[in-house]
Amino acid sequence: MPQVTYVDHDGHETRVDIPVGENVMRGALYNGIEGIVGECGGGLSCATCHCYIDEDWTDTVGGPSSEAEAELLESASGEIRPTSRLSCQVEITPALDGLVVHLPETQF
Amino acid sequence: MPIDAANPVPPSFPRHVGMDQVPDHVPPELIRQSGLTVGPDFLANPHDFMAALHEKQPPIYYDVSPMGNMWHLIKHEDALFGLRHPEIFSNEGATPFPRDPNDYFYFIPIEIDPPHHRKYRNIVDPVFSPQGVLKLEGQIRQRANDLIDAIEAKVAAGGTCEFTEDYGRPLPVSVFLDIMGLPQNMRDEFVDWAVKLLHSNDRAIMADSMQKITAYLKQAIEEKKANPDDGVVSRIAHATPDGQPLSDKEIFGFVCFLFIGGLDTVFATLNNIWLYLAQNPDKLAEIHARPQDIDKIVEELLRRWSVTFSGRVLDKDFEMRGIQMKKGDRVTFVLPACNFDPEVFPNPKDVDFDRPRKTILAFTVGVHSCMGAHLARLEVKIALQEWLKRIPSFSVKPGTQIEYRPGGVIGPEHLPLVW
Repeated sequence: MPQVTYVDHDGHETRVDIPVGENVMRGALYNGIEGIVGECGGGLSCATCHCYIDEDWTDTVGGPSSEAEAELLESASGEIRPTSRLSCQVEITPALDGLVVHLPETQF
Repeated sequence: MPIDAANPVPPSFPRHVGMDQVPDHVPPELIRQSGLTVGPDFLANPHDFMAALHEKQPPIYYDVSPMGNMWHLIKHEDALFGLRHPEIFSNEGATPFPRDPNDYFYFIPIEIDPPHHRKYRNIVDPVFSPQGVLKLEGQIRQRANDLIDAIEAKVAAGGTCEFTEDYGRPLPVSVFLDIMGLPQNMRDEFVDWAVKLLHSNDRAIMADSMQKITAYLKQAIEEKKANPDDGVVSRIAHATPDGQPLSDKEIFGFVCFLFIGGLDTVFATLNNIWLYLAQNPDKLAEIHARPQDIDKIVEELLRRWSVTFSGRVLDKDFEMRGIQMKKGDRVTFVLPACNFDPEVFPNPKDVDFDRPRKTILAFTVGVHSCMGAHLARLEVKIALQEWLKRIPSFSVKPGTQIEYRPGGVIGPEHLPLVW
């Protein structure tokens, strides 16, 4: 099962296994990782699952997967960087085994 | 203070009703009798009324109403803040739904605040996630087409399509039964219970239908305990969060809440949207011309025609916009008004399918965001797509007077359509 590491704002790392087909937001919710809120549950309507893809992974993960994601990212409360994604839109695939994501200080 | 979900007790904070029960800390200049959900101006055109609140009322005012006195908050920004701070604006005891005090139960998970809330959501989230609900797509399309078959047969036989009864009501009930793992032959009975419970405005009738619903759901839970399947009732009955099975009260409160939460809201949303489209053939033509944009279209229709409110109770004294609110005060976030906040949605009453994506409040926000939001979006989308394939244009039957009744879920009472 692919492993994903979440690095919170203070640098604290949590590594979890997430089944293929789930996404980075849900992996956080199921494992009690607090830096992701994901309040709308992946509906592209809340911008509370904002994360920064680690620089080493940006080529593999890519940028926003839709116009709606790019637009909604602008509503995220943390600083928006070129590596910003909404984690509900990052689907877990075997290629993402080892992925590292960084979490903003706050989601709202 | 966190409540114990396994040992429910009725809430004890006071309920204020009427001008003589306005607490002393409320500044007199903020007291209003806005008429929200009950007044003639509201009932004449509820959505116009709520859009106009931004011109007629301050951002926060204290509403005195026969439904209970409470703060009304109408700004998008304030709703995002308040609904995202359950430690200030608590949901525990804030659901205005009468229950038997001698056999009390909590509606789960809406009446449970963090940290226990997520435990319950994790049980059902896989079913209600965007990917989870997609598994139902084929079935929902089939249910929609079955209903349209019946409507066409009725019209061919000289009858009139009453949208609310022929499509708006039975479609979400059918989908609910499918997702819960309950039999479709219960559809008409569930419709009857839901109508009596939510629309009779008669406490004896409401209590009687609540009793019938309770008896049926309790028996269904027992049956699923004995014969597990992949429906939601069975999933809840067999869940073991933290290694512990849920108590009978938790299981019942969870299943019962899904019944009450899921039926009327989609019903009212469909009724509002069909009324709008029946009166706006240009928008109908735009929807026909932009099939690839159906998701955007649904989102904008949900913003423009959202149907309900979020009630909370202050868990501590709190000041907002210079206004002092006190622990125990009730608060209503007027979600449809927040969706008309001109600072966030310019020209808010215009239906514009090309608005940039923003957080809409149709499904509220925060930990208590509607768990059925993705199912509701899918239902609205499929309801539109299947209907428009077969009934591409339609209008309100001439001579119809559109009426709304007081209540917490807003939509036209009747909607006869012709084509």
